[in-house]
Parts: sequence; C-alpha cells; structure tokens
Amino acid sequence: MKSKKQISLRQDCCTAGLCRTLGVLAGLWFLLSFTPAHAEDVLHLYNWNNYISDATIARFEAECGCRVVQDYYSDNEEMLAKLAAGATGYDLIVPTGNAVEALIRQQVLRPLDKTRLPNLGNIDPAWLNTPFDPGNRYSVPYAYTITLIGYNSEKQRALQFPVDSWAVIFEPRYLEKLKGRVTVLDSQRELLAAGLKYLGYSANDTDEAHWKQARDLIIRAKPYWAAFNASSYIKELTVGNIWLVHGYSNDIFQADLDAQKAQRGFRILASIPKEGAVLALDSLVLHKSGPRPDLAHRFINFMLEGRNAAELTNLIGSGNPNRAARAYIRPEIAASAAVFPGAAQLTHLEMLRDLDRRQRRVLSRIWTEIKLR
Amino acid sequence: MRRGWRLWAAALSVYAFLYLPLAVVVVYSFNDSRLNAEWIGFTLRWYEVLLHDREMLLAAGNSLFIALVSSLAATLLGTMAGMAMHRYRIRMLAFMVLTPVAMPEILLGVSLLLFFIQVLNLTLGMLSIVLAHITFSIGFVAVIVRARLAGVEESLFEAARDCGASQWQTFRHITLPLILPAVVAGGLMAFTLSIDDFVITFFTAGVGVQTLPLRIYSMIKIAVTPEVNAVSTLLMLLTLTLIVLASRFAPDALKGKA
Amino acid sequence: MAPEMSEKTQSSRATRLARWLVSGPPLLFLAVFFLLPSAIMVLASFRYPGEFGGLAPLFSTVPGVLHGLTFETYQFFFSDIIYVQVFLKSFLVALATTLICLLLAYPLALLIARSPKKSRDLMVLLVILPFASNFLVRVYAWMILLGPQAALSQAINAVLALFGLTPVHLLFSPFAVLVGMVYVHLPFMVLPLYTNLEKHDPMLLDAAQDCGANAWQRFWRITFPLSMPGILSGAALVFIPVLGMFAIPDILGGTGDMLIGNLIKEQFLGTRDWPFGSTLSIMLTLAVLAVAWLAARLGRGGKYYA
Repeated sequence: MKSKKQISLRQDCCTAGLCRTLGVLAGLWFLLSFTPAHAEDVLHLYNWNNYISDATIARFEAECGCRVVQDYYSDNEEMLAKLAAGATGYDLIVPTGNAVEALIRQQVLRPLDKTRLPNLGNIDPAWLNTPFDPGNRYSVPYAYTITLIGYNSEKQRALQFPVDSWAVIFEPRYLEKLKGRVTVLDSQRELLAAGLKYLGYSANDTDEAHWKQARDLIIRAKPYWAAFNASSYIKELTVGNIWLVHGYSNDIFQADLDAQKAQRGFRILASIPKEGAVLALDSLVLHKSGPRPDLAHRFINFMLEGRNAAELTNLIGSGNPNRAARAYIRPEIAASAAVFPGAAQLTHLEMLRDLDRRQRRVLSRIWTEIKLR
Repeated sequence: MRRGWRLWAAALSVYAFLYLPLAVVVVYSFNDSRLNAEWIGFTLRWYEVLLHDREMLLAAGNSLFIALVSSLAATLLGTMAGMAMHRYRIRMLAFMVLTPVAMPEILLGVSLLLFFIQVLNLTLGMLSIVLAHITFSIGFVAVIVRARLAGVEESLFEAARDCGASQWQTFRHITLPLILPAVVAGGLMAFTLSIDDFVITFFTAGVGVQTLPLRIYSMIKIAVTPEVNAVSTLLMLLTLTLIVLASRFAPDALKGKA
Repeated sequence: MAPEMSEKTQSSRATRLARWLVSGPPLLFLAVFFLLPSAIMVLASFRYPGEFGGLAPLFSTVPGVLHGLTFETYQFFFSDIIYVQVFLKSFLVALATTLICLLLAYPLALLIARSPKKSRDLMVLLVILPFASNFLVRVYAWMILLGPQAALSQAINAVLALFGLTPVHLLFSPFAVLVGMVYVHLPFMVLPLYTNLEKHDPMLLDAAQDCGANAWQRFWRITFPLSMPGILSGAALVFIPVLGMFAIPDILGGTGDMLIGNLIKEQFLGTRDWPFGSTLSIMLTLAVLAVAWLAARLGRGGKYYA
C-alpha cells in the first residue's frame, strides 16, 4: 500500500474542494439551527413518549407565547438513571409514583406553589394524598395506566383462552396454543410484579425467595413468548402478529384504535386479571434544575383544565384523575373498565414502591437469569 | 480461470447480501403505508413529514454541528499524533491512540460517562458529546496520516534539511503538502464517524441534546414509521457523497484504515 | 531510521521542542479523556452504588452513610455462575459471527485480489459503501427484511407449512441477532483479507500448478496459509466489537438475547448500579485483551508459513 506519489497540483484542487464542502455543510447547519426561532420563553418537559396531545401543546404555546421542548423516556428506571447521570434543565417531569418517591427522597424536586394552581380542585380526592407524596407537596396527578392483559378478540373467540387471569401469560397449558404470539413487557419491575401477583404475593414483595419463585414461573413460560417488548407490541397487535400481551392499558387502547382505523376486522381488548395488577399514577413534578418554575406552574394549571386533561385520555386512552375532564371524554372510553376501573377493581390494583440499591442489584441478577435461561 | 464462475457467484451473492437490505430501506421510504409491512403505493409523504418534524431537524442540526467541531479538532490532534507516531515512535502515544480504536465502543462510552459526571461534574450535553467524539476520532486520523508518511521517501526530508530548511520550513513546504490528502481523508473519516456514532453518544448525551442516530434509535425502539426510512435514505446520500469525496482525495487512505 | 542522529549539533534543542510541540497536545488530550476515565472506571468498580444511582461517597463523616472502597462487586460477580455464562454466550456469538464473516468474506476478497488492477478500487469501494451508511439504519433494514410480513418470512413459512411444520419467527430471535452482527461487521473482514491476498505472488500458484497441484490443493496449501495474517487481523476486527455490542441484541433480539454489552448498559442506564457496571466493563476489557493477545500470538506463530 506504499504508493509513492509525487507532489502534484492535485492538492490545490483538494483544498478548494474541501473548502467548498465545508462551506456547504456549515451553511446547511446554520439553516437548520436557525429555523426554530431563538430567544424566547421555553418550557422543558421530560415526558413519556406519546404522553400529551400535539393539539394541547399547540394551544398552550399560543396561550403563553412560549415554546415547549420535550425529551422522552420509555421507562421510569431509564428516566431516573438519566437524572442520576446528571441530566439537568428540565422544568417538568412526569414520573410514576415510585419514581416520584425516589425523586423526593433525593431532594431534587421543587415544592409546588399551590396559590398558582387554582385548578387543583379539579382532581378527584381519591387520587390525592398518595403514600409516595403525602399532602401532594410536590406532585400533581396527571394520568394513570394499568398493566394488564391485552388480546386479539377474534383469536380469543377462536382459541377460547381465558383473559381474566395472569395464568394465560404464565401457564404452558394455555400458552401452547399461543406459542410465538405473546409478548411481555421488557421491564424488570412490571414483569416480576405480574409473576408475584399470579403467585398471590404483593407486587411490592421484596422477599428474595418469592422473587425466585416468580423467576422460575417466568423462565418456564418464556419459551412460549415471542419477545420482551417495550412498545412495538402496539404495532404487532394491530397487524395481527401478536395475539396476547402483558402491556399498558393506554398502549392497548392505541392498538385497538389503529386496528379499527385499518379495518382489520378484529378488536384489541383489555382485561384486568382477577389476581390484581399494577397501577401506575403519573404525576407532574417540578425539577429543581428547571430554569422556569413560572412557566411550569402555568403549564400544570393549564393541564388541570377539564378540556385539556380530557384531550390526553381521548388521544391515548389513559385513566384520568380529573373530575372536570369527565364531561369531555369520549363515551366509549369513559365506559371502558380497563381505563376507568370500578371501585371493586381498584382495590386489586397496587402501585409499585422504589427499591433500595441492594434490592436493585439482586433484581438485576434475577433479570439476567431470566434473559439467559 | 476454470473455477472463476464459482468465485464470481459467491462474491456476487455477498454483494447482494450487502446491498439488498439498504435497497429495501430506500424503497420503503416511498411506501404509502404507516406500518411498514406491505407495499401499498408510491408516496413522498414521509419526506414531507420529515421536513416538518421539528425535533428531527433539531437533531440533524446538532449532529452536523458536533461532527464539524469534533472532526476539525480530531483532524488537528490526529495529524499531530500521526506525525509524532511516525517520527518519534513514542510507545505511550501509539498505545493511547490505537487502543480507543480497537476497544469495543461501549467501554469508552461508559468510562467517559463516569468521568464527565464524577470528575468534571459536567452536565451531559453538546460539550460532552464533542469531547467524546474527538477522543475516538483521533486514532483514525492518526492511522491514516501515519500510513501516508510511511509511504514517503525519507530522503525528501533529508534533502530539505541539507538545503538548510528549518524544521518549520520542512513541515510547511515538504511534509504538509505530502500528507494533505491523508489529512483531508482523515478529516472526512472523522466527520463520518461522528455523524454516525451511536454507542458513545448514547452514553455521553444526557437527555438534553438529541443527535440524529439517537433519534433514529428511539424511533426504531418505540414507533417505526417510514419516516425512519426517509431520514435513513437522506443520511445515506450524505455519507455517500463524503465517501466519494474521501476516495477522490486519497484513494489509498481508505484502504489503509483497515 | 533516525535522520536527526547524523546532525545533533546545534538544532538538538529545536528538535526536542518540535517533538513536544507535535506530540504534546494529542498526548495530553488522550491522557485526560482516555487514560484518566479508564482509571476512574477501575476506581469506581471498588466503590458502593449511591442510594439513588451514581456512586456512594468515598469519604463521609455522617454515620450510616455507606462510603469507602469494597470488593463487593467482584464478590457479587463471582458469587453466581450466571455472569460467567453471559460472557461465555457473548464469546460464542462473537465466534460464530467471526466464522460466518470469514466464510462470506473470503471468496469476495479473493475475487477482488485476482481482478484486474483497474477494477479493484471500485470493488473495494463497493464493499465500503454500505458500511458507511448509518449503523442503526443497517440494523433497521434487517428489522424490515426479517419481519413476519416480509417476503423472506412468508416464503420460509410457506415451505414449512408444506411439510406441516410450525411457522418460525425470524425477527426477535438469536438468528436475527447473528444476521445483524454479520451484516454490520462483514467489511471489517473483507478489507484486511483483501489487503493480504492482493500481495500474494501469482508465480507461487503457477509454480504449484506446474508441479501438478490441483485448484483445491493450491488453495489449501498456498493461498490459505499465506492469508493467515489477514484472517487473524480481520478476526480481531470482527470479534472484539461484537463482544461489546449491545444495540443489535437490543433491536433484533428476542427473549433470550442478552450479551455483556446489554448487561453493562443496563447497569448504567437501568439498574443504577455504576460500580457493578464498572466491574463488568473491566471484565470485558480483560476479555478483549486476552483475545488481542491470542491473536498476536497466533499471528507470530503463523509467520513461519510465510
């Protein structure tokens, strides 16, 4: 490869060419970086993926004359890890209960100024005063989801598998007919909680022996599952590749909407297992590093208005703790037991608590075993 | 060659293996279906969606900026490193330049994550990404420059010195023109590496700054629409242009990097 | 070799200055952003994880706060065979990827090396080109190709159905991971192989033919042994990155596809256990060093062929 070329005029052409390329690239970059207007009020929101309607954002932007910039996460652990890794600059975050608890104990949240939240009274008192934030000093309930069973109505009718119990996810006798058509969540806490619930324990049980029982249950069922999945199961359900999932109520609602829109001829339905399930209440909280608490309060108060709160439910099918929103929610959603469970079902639901470092390490090992075996 | 056709068949199928997937990506970027599963009809819709995707454009802008800054710095430092490795044979330098190139990327990613947060107490963002990209690009530039220098007759430099040229004059009038194609190729290489990098950016990006690969990753993981195909197609065009340029400047440098 | 030796008269000081001016900045930069972070990682592996993530403090006077140094992450690593199994599995995947790459790359490299000089550059460029498109795009392409709706899956399952077999799922499986790994790393095998094969003297083959060796013998007795250095450097270039890969199992893998890279990523971005993540990274570094050492040894051993 040692070509001994002589010095030639070509270098000059090279330099000229390089300058031109760099010029074009620099131009392109300037163009791109200046399209969004600069020097304006910006609210930084660290949110779940697809967890607010574009229309709501647009209306808020118009009302406050500011811009909302969002970053997304798909798992609480991911969000906590990123914050622990020094991510800053967020005015608002939308963590789930156990993550709210962790953030409060880390002292990284800013207490709410309730005088700036006149609409707080719209929240149903049943959703206030949660164990993770007594007195709601830091958090305002935003929406909730339930981790439950979603299924293809047509296949369920044809194969007659039960949908009222976690057994259908974990028991080989049901799974045999469903091999390769089932996905479960790619989340250590959620999957373990489902296993614990099926075994009759609390979702927050931290007894290692019980965890190992749940692990064995999961490993036994694993060969029948197609994948551990974070969110692409929505599409797989819609297309008809996957018939049964362990998933979030709002995702299953989304899959159902898509299936109807594509006129697939089947519905994607949801069911809360009788053993109980995990309830995730997501709340708006203010991060200490956020530069604009004023805009953040304004946004929270805006989201507490019935119409704006309802928009989220109508878009993604999440549960809504806002009483004023009921009037705006589409009737077929309001009637769904998976979105608005009755009082009897609510008693079966459990919110996850945060784990300490030793428990996290043990759970990670159990998860490794689950993945490897 | 009697067995020539067998070799040709094998090689052609490998070429097909290399190009078929990319062709599928490009073709499906024109597919009029949200689900990316079956072919419905031709559309330019996804390119339009792309043009109005504010976050994607922002990510593209970030990627370009990071690639420009980091490749300029890496070209400077990498050229120096390549020359130093060729002339002075400092073992420590060769080790530090080549190891980041040879190690699995994840190792550099997590060690920089730890370093930025524990030691520098730096908020992860633009700066941390640029620093990380310079770190892994230096080695590639250095290797290309050194390969070029290795192909140059030592007598050229001796002749210059015999004519009384100073160190600087030798560098300015002999060395620099000789290695310029390699420097340019190295710079383009660093640019492409930076704009493409996923793993190291993944660990050093924090959450405030998105780059194009990070955005593509979250789209693949969360909701795949043909918009991913559209942005991929455009990205392919860009790197294609850069590769063609690089091969123009220094045809042997590209091979030298392996 | 060292031309400045001949005239170390007046300019030895200037030479020394130039030496540091040229090598100083890159040395300094890499010392700060490569050596130091590596040292920090070694230190981190001996610390306790912070209660909420990050690291527990090294020094603390507050009672009850965990601080200082410990071997617990290493004890934890060896307390269960599972982590060694993850390493073994990653080694197997890396080995399989390397072998498949070699199998695919060899004929191509041979063809390029034996083509007329004019077309070689183009053929090499054609190998590099797809490798220049974004890494994620190349992985994503296989998501489409292996998806259950794609022609490939449909065709395979149609054939399986003819024999009354249950349909297979190509995507989200170890097979998909292997395909992705091979696809992404193939050029790393082709290029060094080609560089080596190109240098072979065609006279050797002619001579062998004159002595009556057939094509098969000529390949196994001459070409293959001579290409050993190319194979080894290609193998190292494929094996080592595959060993640390997390994105491909992440995107294409199914219920069982966890490699070291995924485990490390999870410690940093999921479980919030940096010390254990550091320990795993150090183990991976050691594994890589062992592989590099082995490749270098084999390469030295192979020299006597040439």
